[in-house]
Amino acid sequence: MLGKGLKRKLEQEEENGVMKMSCPQEASPACYWLQRQTVLNLSLLKLHSRPGHTEPGLARWVLITNTLRRIQDVPAPQFFPSGVETHSEGSLTPVSGLEEDRHLFLCLSPSISRQQPPSSSVIKDSFTSALAEIEDLCPTVGITTLFSTEMGRSLTSDPNSDESRHTDPDLSEMDSSMDSASSLSDSAQSLFGHTPPLLADFSLDDFLLTEIDSLLFDNVPCGSSLSGSSGASKVISMVTDDLVKTLAGYGNGGISQSALPSNQTFKLDLNELDHIMEVLVGS
Amino acid sequence: MDGDGEGQSRWCLSQVKGAVDDDVAEADIISAVEFNHSGELLATGDRGGRIVIFQQEQESKSLPQCRAEYNVYSTFQSHEPEFDYLKSLEIEEKINKIRWLPQKNAAHFLLSTNDKTIKLWKISERDKRPEGYNLKEEDGRFRHPSSLTTLRVPVFQPMDLMVEASPRRVYANAHTYHINSISVNSDNETYLSADDLRINLWHLDFTDRSFNIVDIKPVNMEELTEVITASEFHPLQCNTFVYGSSKGSVRLCDMRASALCDQHSKLFEEPEDPSTRSFFSEIISSISDVKFSHSGRYMMTRDYLTLKIWDLHMESRPVETYQVHGYLRSKLCSLYENDCIFDKFECCWRSDDSEVMTGSYNNFFRMFNRDAQQDVTLEASWENGSPGCPLKPWRVCTGSRRKRNEIGVDCLDFSRKILYTSWHPQDNVVALATVNNLYIFQEKPN
Repeated sequence: MLGKGLKRKLEQEEENGVMKMSCPQEASPACYWLQRQTVLNLSLLKLHSRPGHTEPGLARWVLITNTLRRIQDVPAPQFFPSGVETHSEGSLTPVSGLEEDRHLFLCLSPSISRQQPPSSSVIKDSFTSALAEIEDLCPTVGITTLFSTEMGRSLTSDPNSDESRHTDPDLSEMDSSMDSASSLSDSAQSLFGHTPPLLADFSLDDFLLTEIDSLLFDNVPCGSSLSGSSGASKVISMVTDDLVKTLAGYGNGGISQSALPSNQTFKLDLNELDHIMEVLVGS
Repeated sequence: MDGDGEGQSRWCLSQVKGAVDDDVAEADIISAVEFNHSGELLATGDRGGRIVIFQQEQESKSLPQCRAEYNVYSTFQSHEPEFDYLKSLEIEEKINKIRWLPQKNAAHFLLSTNDKTIKLWKISERDKRPEGYNLKEEDGRFRHPSSLTTLRVPVFQPMDLMVEASPRRVYANAHTYHINSISVNSDNETYLSADDLRINLWHLDFTDRSFNIVDIKPVNMEELTEVITASEFHPLQCNTFVYGSSKGSVRLCDMRASALCDQHSKLFEEPEDPSTRSFFSEIISSISDVKFSHSGRYMMTRDYLTLKIWDLHMESRPVETYQVHGYLRSKLCSLYENDCIFDKFECCWRSDDSEVMTGSYNNFFRMFNRDAQQDVTLEASWENGSPGCPLKPWRVCTGSRRKRNEIGVDCLDFSRKILYTSWHPQDNVVALATVNNLYIFQEKPN
């Protein structure tokens, strides 16, 4: 794909960055970028995770959300993590680099009104609950898939697009625990239901019928694959298996109905699933 | 002060309470520690909603070397787990805070709270019982009045000491969010309870009403960026209280100014140091505890990495700042990942306000001598040293070379943390909790 050489370098740097979180901001912009991404991922993970039987703590939620806002306030550095500015005048990369991050946190800014109607975030059918299950199994999926271009296009976008919306049923559990009059549920929805333009206003029908591939490519900068390719493929094969198994279990799901016989679990390899998605999407 | 030539501190281990095996039940984890106003009683609360009260050994009170002997006095279940049917969520029975009331008569009173409900408990002794009833036999059977030929007056006879704990008041349904603090007013009639967004003022006698005195809930919850993390009444001025926030600021409020104290009288906030700015600056600035000095002139705040002493007359910056475990500054990302960065450490003052103390990780606790400007790191461990033996100070280092009583930052055990501490109100005895154990340390006079 694009920037393979860059990816290798990024892998090494990422390992170093993940192992030792002691890079000061000023020392190495690459290190800083990595830490920024790590903190971003961790924050999303923490907000994502279900608290358990008891009411989630408001203080913790506020601190994590403010940390995310802080990341948003600090713009992404103006070059690739590898430190090599491969594009002339840095024209394409910086903008898309900024944009990618901003998409994610646009919703965090309180001044931005919600674009997505509440109804779309409360779709409860078997497919969405399947995706919610997947999200539980692999909470890192949403994070890694959001940034990677390595993975199968439609496969990544599937859990991703619906995941960000279907965190809402999970969050709505947390939400309902808050003051009923409060719009904490709104704020939680605005965090995730407030999907980036990449995935904006996706209903299930849209998801099945739209060209997701091109959207993903348009907005994700070429060199911004965060995860090392090895890690990503591991995650993806995990996701594939789980996705397939869960879809197989839900006989009424839109996809499983047409493509996968129910009550049967089997492993598809990436290409086959890709092909199936293409067929469904009608490309 | 804090170590002689052989590297000894003045402090020695007095007692360890609680099981010392590795397998610890969640319910046994201690979540509150508090001496009463005389220091005779020491209360602990745990995650299982129980309170255990220890009493100082009566005979040894006069002997200086045995002062810190505490034995179990009373154990009772303060809070039970509840289920909020409306929200389908459990309400934990974990005791968040215990506060004693000043003693007025023979009985002792304390307030204990979980996330939602505060309870007033009366702990009283019974060492006599009435005997010689006319209409009741000793075994409890009733006698018919017609069978009486004489009348007698029942008398009190001594019996084995029995300590009873009975709930006298239950202050419920006043908090939507999790209660993090309770504080008894110096007027001994009212107390405050604080949750994430509101502070309520109660009268001890009335459970069906409380006054809301602080409300920082925004109209639009999407705009919520700050929560209340700790609150306390001034020890002498019954109209003054403070509350700390998740953004590292402390507000002092005067209840005479208005009924709703949303407008603070003083705002204590230190400007952020730009050289240490990071993604975690806000989280580590969040106030985990605020405590007035006994004199009422100062207050101490604890955030993740530091202890700060503030003069109430100066809002712009603290008068003293102590680094508790500055070596963690480079580990913040890992501590964010494993959630340790959200740990809320308490702090406490010595009786004469000359020293302060707080807990850290790896079962370390830190003592800061304000006068001598010295500090010491000690370990709460039942393995090292026997009771009575002076503790050896520890040092945390970042290099690879290790001397005795030195430990590397990467070797610290972050699961062993001392969050809850209490200093005896008169003597130099400290109590602290780590996981399920209560440690009592005593200062040896030289």
